[in-house]
Amino acid sequence: MVTIDLSTMPVREGNDALRAAAKRGEDIEILNPDARHHIGVGLIHPVTVRVKGSAGYFCAGLSHGARFEVESNVGWGVGDSMYAGSVVVGGNAGAIAGVALRGGEVVVKGNVGSRAGQVMKAGTLLVCGRASFLAGYMMYGGRIVILGDSGDRVGEDMSGGAIYVGGKVQSLGSDAKIVDMTPEEDADIRAFLKTYGVPFDGTFTKIVNAGTKLRYGVNEPISRPLPHPVFSEGDSYWNAKVAEDIHAKSLIGRYRIRGYGAAKPVPHFGDIAIKVDPSRIGAAGDPTKAVKLAMTLGERHGAKPLTLSMPVLIAPMSFGALSKSTKVALAMASRLSGIVENTGEGGMLPEQRKEAAQLIYQCLSGRLGWNIHDMLKADALEIYISQGAKPGLGGQLMAKKVTKELAAIRGIPEGIDLRSPSRHPDIMGADDLVIKVEEFREATGYAKPVSVKMGAGRVRDDIKIAYKDGFDFVQLDGLQGSTGAASTEVLENVGVPTLSALQEALDGLNEIGHDGSMPVVMMGGIKDGVDAVKALALGAGAVAMGTAALIAGGCISCMQCHVGNCVVGIATQDPEHEARYKTELQAQAIHRFLESVRWQIAAITQALGYSDFRQLSRKDLVALTPEAAAITGLPYDPDYRVVDEQLLTQVA
Amino acid sequence: MCGIAGILFKKPVSNQVLGRALADMMDGCQHRGPDSTGFALYENEVAGLRLRFLVDDDAAVERIRAALAEHGATIKAERREGSTLVVEVAYDGEIRPFAYAMEHAAKLVSIGTALDIIKDVGTSKDLDAVYGIGRINGSHGLGHVRLATESDVKPEAAHPFWATGFADVAIVHNGQITNYWKMRRRLEARGFEFRTDNDSELIAVYIADKMAQGVPLETALEQSVDDLDGTFSFLVSTKDGIGFAKDRLAAKPMVMYEDDSLVAIASEEVSLNRLFPGQPLSTTEPLPGTHQTWSRSI
Repeated sequence: MVTIDLSTMPVREGNDALRAAAKRGEDIEILNPDARHHIGVGLIHPVTVRVKGSAGYFCAGLSHGARFEVESNVGWGVGDSMYAGSVVVGGNAGAIAGVALRGGEVVVKGNVGSRAGQVMKAGTLLVCGRASFLAGYMMYGGRIVILGDSGDRVGEDMSGGAIYVGGKVQSLGSDAKIVDMTPEEDADIRAFLKTYGVPFDGTFTKIVNAGTKLRYGVNEPISRPLPHPVFSEGDSYWNAKVAEDIHAKSLIGRYRIRGYGAAKPVPHFGDIAIKVDPSRIGAAGDPTKAVKLAMTLGERHGAKPLTLSMPVLIAPMSFGALSKSTKVALAMASRLSGIVENTGEGGMLPEQRKEAAQLIYQCLSGRLGWNIHDMLKADALEIYISQGAKPGLGGQLMAKKVTKELAAIRGIPEGIDLRSPSRHPDIMGADDLVIKVEEFREATGYAKPVSVKMGAGRVRDDIKIAYKDGFDFVQLDGLQGSTGAASTEVLENVGVPTLSALQEALDGLNEIGHDGSMPVVMMGGIKDGVDAVKALALGAGAVAMGTAALIAGGCISCMQCHVGNCVVGIATQDPEHEARYKTELQAQAIHRFLESVRWQIAAITQALGYSDFRQLSRKDLVALTPEAAAITGLPYDPDYRVVDEQLLTQVA
Repeated sequence: MCGIAGILFKKPVSNQVLGRALADMMDGCQHRGPDSTGFALYENEVAGLRLRFLVDDDAAVERIRAALAEHGATIKAERREGSTLVVEVAYDGEIRPFAYAMEHAAKLVSIGTALDIIKDVGTSKDLDAVYGIGRINGSHGLGHVRLATESDVKPEAAHPFWATGFADVAIVHNGQITNYWKMRRRLEARGFEFRTDNDSELIAVYIADKMAQGVPLETALEQSVDDLDGTFSFLVSTKDGIGFAKDRLAAKPMVMYEDDSLVAIASEEVSLNRLFPGQPLSTTEPLPGTHQTWSRSI
């Protein structure tokens, strides 16, 4: 047995020693833990860890197979995203005990704080004392056993699993109900208690999902989709789009859901021109050879950075919203073009991992498919706070797409209209976020960049938090960013346009005297290399493209991504539809499109007289409209409009 | 966005360690807020009234001296410390108009016969070095570490806040009050002035106002849980004791430890454990929507 004394070393060093000992198969004893955070996170060997005292936040988090025994109390999130193994806590646990549990057993001998078992998917959480507010909040599976009182609103918005309360059920949460339990279930729980030596001779009340909110009551009518040019035409009152919307709502009586991005016109990169002489473009040889486009991303805290052949990334999009074939095609294209692919919500596909040379792994509020093994396989980790299409809301995946395979990866019940939580269980503020970021770094040995994806809301404040909380880079998504499904009201009306978002982010960073070490990757309606150059010149570190890459790979912009019957096999989980998608072929098409983006960035950079894209600056830009000038602070000079049009024609 | 802590020594004999205890507790949770740190310390009472101002230059000091003289306060002692000026005065008039007048002369951080608020940019260790926090004796106090999100990193934006206009009342708060403006307009309509747009100041004035009307601290805290919307865990201190209130959503952490000699409350147990290194503590987490108070024995 190895003894680690945390009074003589920081937790980071302690965890290194712990992992090394575990790898050798040795059990570990931790002395003087004094409620420090992150003890034992990311442990993936089946050893026993004895913590002689109290542990802080995320004790045993992201572990798989180890047995933890904590003598006294634990802080927030004990056993976070644990896949197998056990944690036994001798005292009390703070909030979100057993959060996102995916297997194994968490036993708390004392009381637990609020939201115990939030978004858990499997395994058992046993609370020998009482629970607090919202126990079992949004749980998808597994079981929670509470021997004492339940706390208020137990089982709030649970969609699967069961909660057994030995004490008083103080109040039931939304969409939860009490049902009878079988003698077998009762015997099973008592046998479980016996294995942990917990006496109990009372009776249990079983709580499950009541099933009133798992599906939308009335489906939207299937109507002929309006082509996007018609849909985005916004200047007459009673146009075809408005009429179609009213017809649909008169049938369903609620908000509508659709895919794709905002259609309303807002100031965008088209309202900015590059001060370049078009006759210089493409004048001499291959600009991609002459201009330096390669960059690295994510070295701010000494992690191994991502290497990009140009300042472009694939925007995060989920397996779920998109078919596996499409995710694999994006992965291939990213590899062929020497850039980076992103998992989006819902976990990492082995096929995607294989094809993408570099892959960012996203962690979302529902922790769907989030696990230590894929974290270790990823090239960077990303905490999703929100997205441009629906800032402040969680993901939506309609039942048609929640297939057996997909539900298994995400750890959720099959065939529900999945609405992911709007916020993370353990990120209620910037102060909690610091501790979360640190958990990811601890669990992966500080080797991987950690980024944050955020939709444009309070950008000026949020970017400061991101900077102070130590993210390696930020992926910022404007109003025009697309999605697989969101309510139309939110898609069109909530958020900050990409141009404003970028400017606010850069202003915010300047206000706190940043040192340039945290690049902003801008996305949301970036359609080509010309837009990319404008974003880079304004101050973005790189850009990301989602919709553009999908269109390059066959998307017909019908905006029916949410339905699940995508005719080209992109936004579907139906094997018949997916069979229409030719992965290799579309990967090549996306790759060719990305190469055109490369050429545009290089050609314009060269035409401006530079040899490196990092030389681009605000001096190269003018605003074509008063609105764009007001947003960006660029000089208003409408005379460049003609030049910009020529530029687009020539470059495209 | 922050970490908070409070401590009360039940027996006067343990008075010596107040500053050291709070400095250690805040150092323990500095990760929650590296931008600024602050303390509200209840020391042994001074003869008159102690005021601490933030001063940028000598002109501010002159303004303070003039304002004190104008309002009939006699300076007994005066010293510069870090970014602040501390004055002890003899004054026997009404506190609120006096406090408002002093606020117009310079940025007043605290006023009281026992309370002294010391706050500045930097960490707990930084403040300890500049202000000698660890050497300050007293019976009870609060601490705060701040991550600046919506306002600048400057001493006046640091916490704790005093209840503007009321002597010896201070607050530290973790969370966000969402009916801030509604509550503030109600208080403003009754003649209260606010120095910041910070919701912590609002809670302090709200509580102090109730207490001035004869409502016990315990009742004021109970009512605050109903009156305030949003997410909050806060600690209030008065000349005689401390108390906490916690919202019904239980979104912000709070852990407490109590024994015969002291009660200590903090955002995280790691701060409490700083008081007892190497010892597993028997702690409790206050339930959602609850409050509690402690008084020092006199």
